[in-house]
Amino acid sequence: MAYRTYLMVCAGTGCVANQSMKVKDKLDAEVKKRGLDQEVSVVTTGCNGFCAVGPLMVVQPDGIFYQLLKETDIPYIVEEHLIKGRPVKELMYTPPKEKVPIPKMSDIPFFADQTLIVLRNRGLINPESIEEYIARGGYEGLAKVLTTMTPDDVIREIKASGLRGRGGGGFPTGIKWETCKHAPGDKRYVICNADEGDPGAFMDRSTIESDPHAVLEGMLIGAYAIGSSEGFVYIRNEYPIALERLQTAITQAREYGVLGKNVFDKGFDFDVKIVRGAGAFVCGESTALMASIEGRPGEPRAKYVHTVERGLWDKPTCLNNVETWANVPQIIVRGASWFTGIGTGDVTSDPWGGSKGTKVFSLSGKVNNTGLIEVPMGITLRKIIYDIGGGIRDGKKFKAVQTGGPSGGFIPEALLDLPVDYEELTKVGSMMGSGGMVIADEDNCMVDMAKYFLSFTQTESCGKCVPCREGTKRMLDILERITVGEGTEEDLALLEELSNMVVESSLCALGGSAPNPVLTTLKYFREEYEAHVRDKKCPGHSCRQLITYNIDSDICVQKGHGCHVCAKNCPDGAIVGESKQVHAIDVMKCGKCGICYDVCKFDAIYIE
Amino acid sequence: MVTINIDGKPVEVLEDTTILKAAEKAGVWIPTMCHSEYFEPYGVCRLCSVEVVRGKRSRIVTACNFPVRGGMNVLTNSERVKWLRKVIMELTLSRWPNVRVVREMAERLGVAEPRFKSLERDEAENACILCGMCVNMCNEVVKAGVLGFAHTGIKREVVLPFDERSDQCIVCGSCAHVCPTGHIKMILEDYRGKRSEFTLGPKTPIYVPTLQAVPRVPVIDTESCIHFQTDGCETCAKACEPNAIDFGMKDEIVDIEVGQVLLATGFDLFDAGAMAQYGYGRLDNVYSSLEFESILNSTGPTGGKIVMKNGKEPRAVGIIHCIGSRDTNHHPYCSRVCCMYALKFAHLVKDRTSAAIYQFYIDMRAFGKGYEEFYNRLLDEGITMIRGKAAEVVEGKWSGEGEPSLKIRCEDTLIGKFREIPVDMVVLCNAIEPRTDSDVIRRLFSVSKSPDGFFLERHPKLDPTSTATDGVFIAGCAQGPKDIPDTVAQASSAAARILSLISKGEVEIEPVRAMVQEEYCSGCKICNNLCPYGAIEFLQESKVSHVNEALCKGCGTCVAACPSSAMTGHGFTDAQILAELDGLMV
Repeated sequence: MAYRTYLMVCAGTGCVANQSMKVKDKLDAEVKKRGLDQEVSVVTTGCNGFCAVGPLMVVQPDGIFYQLLKETDIPYIVEEHLIKGRPVKELMYTPPKEKVPIPKMSDIPFFADQTLIVLRNRGLINPESIEEYIARGGYEGLAKVLTTMTPDDVIREIKASGLRGRGGGGFPTGIKWETCKHAPGDKRYVICNADEGDPGAFMDRSTIESDPHAVLEGMLIGAYAIGSSEGFVYIRNEYPIALERLQTAITQAREYGVLGKNVFDKGFDFDVKIVRGAGAFVCGESTALMASIEGRPGEPRAKYVHTVERGLWDKPTCLNNVETWANVPQIIVRGASWFTGIGTGDVTSDPWGGSKGTKVFSLSGKVNNTGLIEVPMGITLRKIIYDIGGGIRDGKKFKAVQTGGPSGGFIPEALLDLPVDYEELTKVGSMMGSGGMVIADEDNCMVDMAKYFLSFTQTESCGKCVPCREGTKRMLDILERITVGEGTEEDLALLEELSNMVVESSLCALGGSAPNPVLTTLKYFREEYEAHVRDKKCPGHSCRQLITYNIDSDICVQKGHGCHVCAKNCPDGAIVGESKQVHAIDVMKCGKCGICYDVCKFDAIYIE
Repeated sequence: MVTINIDGKPVEVLEDTTILKAAEKAGVWIPTMCHSEYFEPYGVCRLCSVEVVRGKRSRIVTACNFPVRGGMNVLTNSERVKWLRKVIMELTLSRWPNVRVVREMAERLGVAEPRFKSLERDEAENACILCGMCVNMCNEVVKAGVLGFAHTGIKREVVLPFDERSDQCIVCGSCAHVCPTGHIKMILEDYRGKRSEFTLGPKTPIYVPTLQAVPRVPVIDTESCIHFQTDGCETCAKACEPNAIDFGMKDEIVDIEVGQVLLATGFDLFDAGAMAQYGYGRLDNVYSSLEFESILNSTGPTGGKIVMKNGKEPRAVGIIHCIGSRDTNHHPYCSRVCCMYALKFAHLVKDRTSAAIYQFYIDMRAFGKGYEEFYNRLLDEGITMIRGKAAEVVEGKWSGEGEPSLKIRCEDTLIGKFREIPVDMVVLCNAIEPRTDSDVIRRLFSVSKSPDGFFLERHPKLDPTSTATDGVFIAGCAQGPKDIPDTVAQASSAAARILSLISKGEVEIEPVRAMVQEEYCSGCKICNNLCPYGAIEFLQESKVSHVNEALCKGCGTCVAACPSSAMTGHGFTDAQILAELDGLMV
């Protein structure tokens, strides 16, 4: 049944958390009340990516974008937009520093500068409907592969596309498939790694939430290429919506005969099981993940014998990340040359020679437009942060961007024109990773940032090998000493030495990359470390032990007339001064909580 | 085979062997702390890190699990490797500064003082260096799957499932065996070990029963062998070069056709536990005669040294005669050998230790050739003979001081006084008794027993080796308690009897014997069990009874019992007798 208007309400995790389901229910009720239910359809979609302004809704086919919706806004929108045909300006997106709202989704810079391959169906289809996926050309790739291509053709196509592992390693997917296909063994497995453990990263989660069939189709094509009949999706249990949608997708796919025995009557069998992970970060590592599927503790092993030869239950196993799998159907449908048209370098002779296609990033930290974005490889970090991301929040100054999750390095402003590319990011000490992107501004202390991410990897280290278990702990001890002002010059040298040792001698990639935040901050922000160590000062004003709160007495009396708000709010009773008089902070009593700083309306309080 | 270079030395090894093994072959030492031959390389201590150079590229790998490829250059002592090892060792040493193996390895690698603040730990409290050897042993080799790791990062520790005692643990001790720091200990708890003469000391599941065993090959005790409990281990099979270990081997029954049988099934030793007053099985250092024999044996558990459980030499040894013999409560007969072996024990104890020796006897029976002389010699050696059966053995202090030991209470009938003799060790001279299964054997061969339970000879004086069943002979303690010379004499006699029949090639049998008239036999089997000589068997094919003419003595029991008159005497059928009578009366 066709409708005149579709209201696409985002039901990604971010928007659901912001009560988008209530908005949806209200819309349903309101549409019905107005007797529009034969003309207007309310659809829940996967994540749109612009999580910063959720709950959001797109009115199709006009493409009008509404943001920050509340239940109370609904009657007004229905009245104005659906009945009177006047889009509601107040609820549209207005870029910071500008006055005029942008009505159309496609005109908003956040969306305009993205290139969608993996997330092409986001916000356009109901992820719980296989029909809508098929209507958007879904399973066309699988049909093409099963009817017109041999497994070798598929591998050749994927190799030609230059697709590389999106889970972080950047290993050429085609080569992986080829090795797996030719590895000796009677049974082969296909695994989709959906154990996304990076704090603040939600690429894989959103991909599954908004388009689960794309992942399944990719796995089916991969299984056909390498000759596998059994696949697993290892997904963390903390992703309830993704799990549910994936389960629905698998059930639907089985009903439609695209999954299971004799797919498309072509004699190809393939089925997928979901394995739920318990949330250990290290289980994102392929060998640990396989151990976990086998029912053993999720600990990595040495990969001197590759998993494509001896992986799950010692059988050849092809493991790819969610995003990699989701790329596959599009490459098959549109062809390798279309894919190589996007991105950097040349992959015709050297598979490592360039980065092709797009990459999904989850943008978080001190940037205006936090959310999920898909950008072509080769785009500069500056474009991502300033155009798509809308610049730094509150007009502050940019300091650094961390790419690649908790083990990624920090990239300073001087390198912002760096193109997003596997090799370029590695060269500067960071990595592509699975696509986390955290932006730090001038208020962030880089030592503290490094400490934060290291404390994450330190606790998430499985503890199997000495360098990672003992080394990261000692590094964290040193960083803690530095942030409380007890660090020495020798500590800095030792920290660097330890970092290098952990990178070189750890058993798996977790230890091999965990010191990256420390190493890059030591390289690009050494002066901050030195300030902590020599001057016992924290330039980012965030290491409590190294800062003092002071009151500028002139501002306090002249502008604020001694308003006394700070003294009222101080939990330590550290602020002295009577109302309408000048106030001062007793350094001995001050607990450095920062409440006074936040409550002072006159900016009379400053940090040293 | 491929050739690789280790520190410039060329070594030829099989492809896919690990660098560690190749280095061993080349005589290059690479430090390891988590490696063991028992299981797959674990690769966690990272001390075996080496540098592999191929062309201009070099990378750090762990030697224990990195497979060798032809033309590979391995550097085990480059500056980079030395630096890595040093920092790793510093980390390990600072975490476990009190653990001996860690300290020794640090010393060997030249790491004196780690740059990290030492996390002081009491070695006794936590010496687990997380090498994972116990876990790998339990899971990969033993396959019991009991030990595992819990928690992440620095909090990692080895645990039992849910931190509780596990029913899956077969208490094999493999984890304690491989633990390099001794952190895992085996605790004896509620120990009630089996007391057999062969298991005085610790015993592995695979062992040679005795060094005098024939054939002298090791056997596997399936009750304590790990493999028979978990299907894992098989370490012995891996180590056995001739591939002689066969876990599938089972007991089998072999049929051998023979004309004559010699029963020499021996004896059982009286269980002294039945006489609680002597403390056997309850008090330490109270031994049965066979156990003590095994202690004296130079291939025994103590290597022939006479020592107590605590490893010290006893200061006095008491030997108590007639345990279960000459005792109306147990066996009224004399076991015949005890007096003499008790004297032998005394002699050997005197010879090997400086202990005082007390013999508690009822009567000394030194009746064989040279026996009385040996007894006299012993008296000259200075052993103390106390006439009177010991009443009980109790725990006591050695003249009020020192370690607790034993006390023997007895009545010395020669001086007519009760005495308490302090000793460190007691040897009981257990009675010889018939084997527990002797009745089964007896019935099998239709052999009778005498009142004492031993096999009954045909005639105690004139034919002590044969039995009432022709072709079945007896020898040794199966017939009655006797010492080695007597046993040898009786066995030789039995052998001669058997050989005389074999050399004749035929058996003379009595003309008078029973015979089955098969056409009348109903197959009721009444005669089968009646025959005192076991001469009647039942033929399954024709469903009739059949008389073994070689065994039949012609007693006529069967003839009288046969309800259908199918059984008759050969040459004495009713028809024949009646015909004879007819002839006489003519």
